[in-house]
Amino acid sequence: MRIDRTHRAWAIAAFVMLAAAAIVYLSDTLNAPQGPRGGSVVGLLFGILGFGCVIFAALLGARKRVPTWRVGRAQAWMRGHLWLGLLALPTILFHAGFHFGGTLTRVLMWLLIITVASGAFGAALQHYIPRVLTAEVPLETIYDEIDHVRALLREEADRTVEALCGDLGLAKSSTEGIERAGGFTALRPIAGAVPLRTSAAVSAGASAAVAAARENIRLSQEEGAPLRIFYLNEMRQFLEYPGKHPHRLAHPATASSSFAALRTLLPGRAHGAVADLEDICDEARQLARQERLHHWLHGWLLVHIPLSLALVLLGAVHAVMALRY
Amino acid sequence: MGGIHIPTLCHLQNQTPVGVCRLCVVDTGARVLSASCVRAVEPGMKVVTHSDKILHARKTLLELLMSDHPSPCARQEQSGDCELEGLAKAAGIAEARFAKRSIARGEDDSSLAIAVDHDACILCDRCIRGCDEVKDNFVLGRMGKGYSAGIAFDLNAPMGASTCISCGECMVSCPTGALTNKGPAGTAICAGPGTEIFEAEELLQIPVFRGVSGTFLELNRGAIVKRRFRKGEVICREGEFGSTAFYMVEGRAKVSLSAPIAHVKTQGGAKGFFKRLTSTLVGREEDRRGEETRDRTIPIDASVDLSYGNPVAELGPGDLFGEMTCMNFYPRSATVVAESDIVAYEMLRNVLDIMLKNKAFRAQLDETYRRRALENHLRGVPMFADLPPEFIGHLKERVELQGFAPGQVIVQQGDTADSFYLVRIGFVKVLENYPGGEMVLAYLSRGDYFGEIGLLGGGDRTATCTALDHVELVRIAGDDFRDMVAKFPGVRAGLEAVAAERRAANQQRLQRVDSVPIDQFLSQGLMEAQSLLVLDLQNCTRCDACVNACAEAHDGVTRLVRDGLRFEGYLVATSCRQCRDPLCMVGCPVGSIRRRNSLEVIIEDWCIGCGLCARNCPYGNINLHPFEVLSDDPQNPGRKKAVIKQKATSCDLCTHLKEPSCVYACPHDAAHRVDPKSFFAEMLGGSGAK
Repeated sequence: MRIDRTHRAWAIAAFVMLAAAAIVYLSDTLNAPQGPRGGSVVGLLFGILGFGCVIFAALLGARKRVPTWRVGRAQAWMRGHLWLGLLALPTILFHAGFHFGGTLTRVLMWLLIITVASGAFGAALQHYIPRVLTAEVPLETIYDEIDHVRALLREEADRTVEALCGDLGLAKSSTEGIERAGGFTALRPIAGAVPLRTSAAVSAGASAAVAAARENIRLSQEEGAPLRIFYLNEMRQFLEYPGKHPHRLAHPATASSSFAALRTLLPGRAHGAVADLEDICDEARQLARQERLHHWLHGWLLVHIPLSLALVLLGAVHAVMALRY
Repeated sequence: MGGIHIPTLCHLQNQTPVGVCRLCVVDTGARVLSASCVRAVEPGMKVVTHSDKILHARKTLLELLMSDHPSPCARQEQSGDCELEGLAKAAGIAEARFAKRSIARGEDDSSLAIAVDHDACILCDRCIRGCDEVKDNFVLGRMGKGYSAGIAFDLNAPMGASTCISCGECMVSCPTGALTNKGPAGTAICAGPGTEIFEAEELLQIPVFRGVSGTFLELNRGAIVKRRFRKGEVICREGEFGSTAFYMVEGRAKVSLSAPIAHVKTQGGAKGFFKRLTSTLVGREEDRRGEETRDRTIPIDASVDLSYGNPVAELGPGDLFGEMTCMNFYPRSATVVAESDIVAYEMLRNVLDIMLKNKAFRAQLDETYRRRALENHLRGVPMFADLPPEFIGHLKERVELQGFAPGQVIVQQGDTADSFYLVRIGFVKVLENYPGGEMVLAYLSRGDYFGEIGLLGGGDRTATCTALDHVELVRIAGDDFRDMVAKFPGVRAGLEAVAAERRAANQQRLQRVDSVPIDQFLSQGLMEAQSLLVLDLQNCTRCDACVNACAEAHDGVTRLVRDGLRFEGYLVATSCRQCRDPLCMVGCPVGSIRRRNSLEVIIEDWCIGCGLCARNCPYGNINLHPFEVLSDDPQNPGRKKAVIKQKATSCDLCTHLKEPSCVYACPHDAAHRVDPKSFFAEMLGGSGAK
């Protein structure tokens, strides 16, 4: 979630609560002969407040499981999750008097610190990465569709090269998937009518469907040899495994120079097809970029969520044990 | 008329009378005999249709025509129904008294489809009017003068080299063998068991085909067949595509729809504590769709409507069904099963088209409609629902049933309002012209009505209504309408309320059009949208909470795809845009896709899953999904079994909830349902778009 001025009210409220808690904590510290303790009335209050913040933050996961329940807008829950989750750390520190205590409390404290830190890291990523994704991946598609779109791009590239050089001897895959992407294939004419392209539309054949039919060009074996070699040795590998190995087509500048060099080796009538191949590489590169950004955008949750659950469970154990014994 | 037969040659029921052949002469007491097809009736006029003087005049005319006509002509040889030779024979003319033409006018064999014999032409102009008036092709005309006068294609080009499209209307209109079928290709319904193909002569013996051109029937041999169905046999199934209509001659058939079980989206109906609790938490609003629905019947492609609760009806001799499928190629709207052994004529579009122009056939169909469905239709107009039966009976007799061809203007904006119309078959486009353009205000289908705004306002038509396809209307004349609203103030109040609502909605739409006429908007189709689901890509973390919420709210089937057009930093998700010009609504064979009184386009639960709306949607926002419904079990009569049935789904803006679930469930403040013009106005203004 982007942290912008819509968070002002939550930020102010959290700051006021933090300031009030700090005043209470300082006052208690100065007045208590044995210093701040979790078992004192003020310490217990801090504990309850802090654990309450943790519980509320953890409930966001439950809220997401019932998206149609009218129990407050999800974005309000998310704002509360961010700010109350952040507030939980100083509150618990006030509760513990900045001591880590025994084994359980030490584990709890580290869990809290890592959870809050991972959450802050995740919030920063979610603030930043969507903008990067939007700017750098204009041909973005649905994440789960990336492999499928790649397969379609490979097919399109195969067809383009085979149209110029003849059969490449590659295994043909089924064309069943070409009519994919829900109902979005219906957007072909629109996608062609505007300069904007979406990966779904393009991969579904939008550009092919709307572009004027290109003249059927077939290069002689000698003329087409550079393209055939380039495609089979470099581009096809890149399209199959775009992010796995360092590849010169994986970088826009080196890719551009590769295609420029290829053009010099091919007759002018093949340059249109080379431009298509360059576009395909560009889209494949964007999809690889999307994949990486997507992993950053959501990967931190693999740390944050299990630690949050552990924190809630162990926190409950700590509360029961502390109150009982 | 009135049992009196007056012979004609140049007149056809569906063409403008011209009085060329003079064969229909009658005696009105004037100095000379008058051609009855063009002589207007006057008060107190005495007309003699059969007297020696008249019969003698007609016989002389026939003798003159026969002297200029090869006998037997090609038509007489082919189908034996040359109208001129038939009339001559009836008048007892064996041989012409007058000399035959000495100079032949020639033949034109250049067309692959139609043979032209100028010598057999009697210059009745029926072919010219057929070409110009009926088909709007304007290829045929007259050439030459006096003895050498004849018909001509374009500027007297050979027919095969002219702009003629060989539609056959001239040939069908021709009363003689001047224009005949060369039979290069035939149209035929697939023959199967119980199928009987007719010859033209046989068909002409059947009462409902009397008066249809023999040339036409010859041309369309195989385009009409007699079918026999055994008891229990399925004649047609709902949702299937077809191209034929059925006219029942014997037997009874059951017409039905797979029972609507539940709304496609989850309904309330919570039972048990947990479900009640869930229902409360979900915050469902009461579903008022039923109250908004104009009637409790489901329109189908037959002379009856089906009751919503029990969608079953019976068809019998004289009923025509499949007219919309045949004329407009819409999917079958219902399943028809033979209740007893049945004999029916199955016909293709060209045959039905001609049949519908036949006054006798039309009169029979109209009578069936008046008897079986008109009352339901009239009562389907909410304001008419409480009219007393006597007045409905009175209206039933007074209304006129009219047919319109695709593209034909029914009422023109600015014309004087003189009628109220109820749509019986087909789709009507309502379009308003405004300075700088025009805008589609609505598509009206069976059960909808129009014309009340002009009548109540006492002035001019405020919009142009055009037939989108083959349209049949019930016309209530202005006087009857005014009589009705004067007698029943409740009807007037109801109509005025609707008229005011429509005017306000139209005004609002036009204001929106004026506010942001932007090229880029138009090119992306966003101008047509009333509500867009946009995702702010700078906020969106691609978590798919919107998609999951949509699926959760609609029985596990999402109605949005998080992909689509990008507009600046926004993604216009693939989800129903609630278009101003909802093309998806055109053609629904059962009227299950409709616009609510508020804004959203919804798909009612009696959708038969034909997929026409999905194909019509230019933005791919309607999809078909399998749902489980209960249907009759053929192996256990009287029992039902669960079957999987396709139904169309599209975003309904979560009308059963207080806010669209996708928007409500977005944790990142990225999903918004917006009015595109107001939402993008600032951005577009800034980008210098015009």
